[in-house]
Amino acid sequence: MNTIILIFIIFLAGAILTFLASNIKGLLKEVLFLASVIVPVVMFFTGVKAGDSFNFHLAGFAFQWEITPLGYLFALIVTGLGVMAAIYAVSAMQKTKNLGLFYFNFILSIMSMLGILFSRDLVSFFIFWEIMTWSSYLMVVYQGKDVQKVGIKYFIFSAIGAYAMLMAIVMVYSLTGSMMIDKMIQSYAGFAFNMQIIIPILFLIGFGVKSAMMPLHVWAPGAYSHSPMAFTSLFSGALSKMGIYGMVIVMAGMIAYFPEGHWFRIVIAWLGGITAVGGTLWAIAQDDAKKLLAYSSVAQLGYIIVGVGIGTPLAMLAALFMAVMHALFKGTLFMAVGAIEKQTGTSNFTEVTGLIRKMPLTFLASLMGIIALAGIPPLGGFVGKWMLYESLIGSDHYLLVIVIFFSSTAAFLYCYKFLFGFFLGQEEKEWEHVKEAPVLMVIPMIILAGGTFLLGTFPGLVIKPISAGLEQLGYAATQGKYWEMSMLFNEWGDQVVLEPILYAIIAVFAFFLVFLLIKNHKNTRYVSTKDISTSGEVPKEHENLTFIQNFFQPFLRAVEPLMKRQIDFYYNGFGKGIEALFDFTRRIYTGNGQTYALYAIIFVVIFLLLKTTLFGI
Amino acid sequence: MELFLNILGAIATVILAFIVGMSYGGIVRKITARVQNRKGPPWYQNFIDAYKLYSKTTAIHHGWMHRMGPAFLMVSSVVTLMFVPVLNNGGWFENMNFQGDLIFLLYIMVFGSLGMALGAGQTGNPNSAIGVTRGLSQMVGFEIPWVMALVAMMIQYKTTSITGFIEVQQESGTWLMFSSPFAFIAAVLAMLGMFRYSPFDIVGAPSELASGPVSENGGKYLFTMMSSGSIFTFAKLTLYVDLFMGGANNLLVLLIKTFALYMVPVLYGLVSPRYRTEQAVRYFWGWPLFFGLLAIIYAVIF
Repeated sequence: MNTIILIFIIFLAGAILTFLASNIKGLLKEVLFLASVIVPVVMFFTGVKAGDSFNFHLAGFAFQWEITPLGYLFALIVTGLGVMAAIYAVSAMQKTKNLGLFYFNFILSIMSMLGILFSRDLVSFFIFWEIMTWSSYLMVVYQGKDVQKVGIKYFIFSAIGAYAMLMAIVMVYSLTGSMMIDKMIQSYAGFAFNMQIIIPILFLIGFGVKSAMMPLHVWAPGAYSHSPMAFTSLFSGALSKMGIYGMVIVMAGMIAYFPEGHWFRIVIAWLGGITAVGGTLWAIAQDDAKKLLAYSSVAQLGYIIVGVGIGTPLAMLAALFMAVMHALFKGTLFMAVGAIEKQTGTSNFTEVTGLIRKMPLTFLASLMGIIALAGIPPLGGFVGKWMLYESLIGSDHYLLVIVIFFSSTAAFLYCYKFLFGFFLGQEEKEWEHVKEAPVLMVIPMIILAGGTFLLGTFPGLVIKPISAGLEQLGYAATQGKYWEMSMLFNEWGDQVVLEPILYAIIAVFAFFLVFLLIKNHKNTRYVSTKDISTSGEVPKEHENLTFIQNFFQPFLRAVEPLMKRQIDFYYNGFGKGIEALFDFTRRIYTGNGQTYALYAIIFVVIFLLLKTTLFGI
Repeated sequence: MELFLNILGAIATVILAFIVGMSYGGIVRKITARVQNRKGPPWYQNFIDAYKLYSKTTAIHHGWMHRMGPAFLMVSSVVTLMFVPVLNNGGWFENMNFQGDLIFLLYIMVFGSLGMALGAGQTGNPNSAIGVTRGLSQMVGFEIPWVMALVAMMIQYKTTSITGFIEVQQESGTWLMFSSPFAFIAAVLAMLGMFRYSPFDIVGAPSELASGPVSENGGKYLFTMMSSGSIFTFAKLTLYVDLFMGGANNLLVLLIKTFALYMVPVLYGLVSPRYRTEQAVRYFWGWPLFFGLLAIIYAVIF
């Protein structure tokens, strides 16, 4: 039997079996859950390679599933993060009600994501897309909080995206008579001009919703923060990347023959840039870690959209590398928030402080995640940022590079807020009992954080498959021109050599750490955070001096004009307008027979007056 | 053998940066005192202070992050220094000049502040955290005109490496501060924030924040921070000289140029009272931003 179909069958059967086993006591459901995630993933890594395919016919459509190099790259994100999140979930979701539903949706969303990546025809692409939307929707409303507000918002936007995509698919079918993605890409150049514009826009609305592109992002902060954190790491890390995958196909496949600097590309890139700035500024203003990371995800996907929008080889490399990195570090960070929430019962910075000595491993993972997020060398985030800047400068997008730089510098603010809010500051009696998270939750975090470290020095490990994926889309080979295993180049041949940088950093760090600690280490004693000098006054035991309320108030004051209006405001206005319109329509039905008779007469009169113009009678 | 010589060169660079940075610090103290009609300490006072701090024993600590903070800070200053060409012909001070470019430098420069901020955070001193938020906010402010100036120069001369800019200046014979004047103005205005002299001394903010993030540190910790600050000052000044003033062929020229440049933020600071944080941030989005935009337009047109 073909391995591809076997993978899907195991996913599906595993999901159903886990669901059925959810009421049985003991570890059966956990074992089943882990098995039905890990077994297909192992099969994926051992049994299939790029180029494998599976074809069948059903209901008059030809279905084709094939593992393309690009799909393989994204499948690495999905399977890698999926396994880590699954291991984490088993420990994180203990003692939760309705566990069966959670496991069921979890497995289905991994399956549907792989399905999207393997589909080479639009029908199965769309079906898997809908399964993904539904399973993630059920996760968003899983905890039952604010279902009306958050769940409906996510659902409406997903529906808008899905209809837009469906419309595009139907148009493509009517124009080409085929549902194959390859066929669509090939014949795109022959479409009429209006179709050349409308079809990509409809597709991009569909993909833009999932990847939370401005102005379609409003569902994201709520949905990310309301799902269980075990799923959010996958939601933000992998599921949103499906939108990016679709965008890559549209931007690099369909409109590939639009030259660089075409207005269509620039509009998409600027949308990404605005998304990045808006997401960053709103992330700084949040006091809840989940919301902060959710807005940060919106911002990070903005960078990726910029890269995809620009579409030069270096920009594409940057975007896809950032997609992988984002999955790694945002997975880590959401898991860390989940761990803190589980141990303390809150994810609000203003409530919990000073966890660094209680949860040191979570702190370590978060620290690495944050350094990668901020893009500071020697961790992997830097590589993506570097390539993005170089590609923007090299392709003459001067203002966009400033916008991106602003956003990524401002990101330091919320990065520090995340670490300081949870881990640093004064230690409080209230949180003295807190212990490190269970080992099954810590291990996935550390592994993912370690991934960011490895890729910071040897980015070639991931750029190699990315490059293969781009070659499939028709780009020239980039190895040696833009990258080597541990080197990066820009358009003008300037380089960054990563390996010696890492060694230099480690050497200097180790030297000064030894310098600081030698002779001193044993004679120093630990003093609590109450034992500090605050202008000569020692704070009392009950005094909490932690500075966390209005943390970045001066900065937010400085950028106030940029944050005056939220896009929500306009959507709400639009919604109210539509409501008023419907209200007006309702009044047509007065319930009075005389009025209806009048309508009939008016209709006949209009018909008679306009019959020549309308029907030519 | 070559590696050994490289390491020796690197150590020599660090020592040079330490000495020059420390002396500049002392001279600034003297100048400040003279402007304020005081006698002031001798120019070598900073060395005496450093020696005093170094010889003190440390009695307490607030945990591991606190202890690693100064080491993080040092990583950033020393690694930055390694990537900035000290002299045009390299020689002893070549270090790692060819292995990174300006964008890498921009990012490694903030590595230390973040590590330091974490160390300061663990002490639990509220003044430290306030200082850090101010510093980060101000950084977002001045990075914008600074990056605009750099981007303008990158697109004008089609290079992102510092050695590339030095070559451009040697070939044309003019300093970049004359051939791209707006970029230079934007960069110098950004420099006011980078050096944190008044009116941008909101991070340390004497008599307001009790020296901010460095409070709770003493002895060797403070010594490390002080030396790191001196090394970083030298590295930043040298970077400006390399980028805008044609680099330097020997140490004497380098000293003259860096000192002249250093006087800009110092003298500007002497006559300015301190800004509030949002004023400091917005300052950089006024005229400096305008000159940055002008620089980019200039670079696109020429």
